Amino acid sequence: MARSDSLGQFEQLVLTAVLSLREDAYGVTIHAKVQELAQPKAVSLGAVYVTLDRLEDKGMIASWLSDPTPARGGRAKRCYRLEALGELVLQESAVTAKRVWDLIAGVWGEEWAKEWGKRWGKEAG
Amino acid sequence: MGERGRLTDSGPSKAAEALVAVFLPLACREEVLGDLHERYRSPWQYGFEALSTVPLVAIGRIRRTADPRILLIQAFAVAVSFLGAAWFRDGPLLRSQWGLLRLAVPGAMTLLGLVLEDAYARLGRRNAAELVRGPVARIALATLSQAALGAGHAGVAVPRWVMLYGCG
Repeated sequence: MARSDSLGQFEQLVLTAVLSLREDAYGVTIHAKVQELAQPKAVSLGAVYVTLDRLEDKGMIASWLSDPTPARGGRAKRCYRLEALGELVLQESAVTAKRVWDLIAGVWGEEWAKEWGKRWGKEAG
Repeated sequence: MGERGRLTDSGPSKAAEALVAVFLPLACREEVLGDLHERYRSPWQYGFEALSTVPLVAIGRIRRTADPRILLIQAFAVAVSFLGAAWFRDGPLLRSQWGLLRLAVPGAMTLLGLVLEDAYARLGRRNAAELVRGPVARIALATLSQAALGAGHAGVAVPRWVMLYGCG
């Protein structure tokens, strides 16, 4: 059975987006970052909201409303930040992902790992 | 991206925003409307994005506000309410072949009304109008379900008094 603080793949993406955006983490920017991380899959804004709610319920992130801005029709943003539990589970999942990567690279060979490394490098660049 | 990444300075029409706002739970209306406004590119894009976003936001809100234990108690209370109303107002309905199933439809709609009432409620104290809105919405939902059933087959709908007592 899954631990209550274990992360699903989409939750990992959302947490990573919140981590990387720092003070600028809110609905639109988080969705854009998750979309970038999930390529080539399409990600809906609604799915991001649902996951942010779930992560907040689990105590991994915290949110607050910012001041309204004219660019948003005078409406406020809900900003997010990573909590200690969120950092911990994200670290755990990153370590697990690294182990998976190392194991697969070991089985499929260094050439395969270099090839995928190049592809990711190009996409990120 | 964010505000710097906006493709156009124009935003959605006030009417479109007001329509979307009606379907958004109050607790997350502000930020979702703001995000949709910021991502606005065209009326079609806005409409499509609102249609795909609002149901998920509402479901997420229901998940946060609906406590399974309280929901079970509410379901029990609604069932007792409809069974009691049927017992006092229309005894033969309970003994008929599909009587319990006929009662289950407005009962389920009343329960749905209760769930939606919690999800769409304003945080903090509610005023008198908001307190009245919940029961009215429940009765309206149950009535609509009965009207829809009655349109297909008049004998399937629950008698009006049983329904009103049950919802109340």
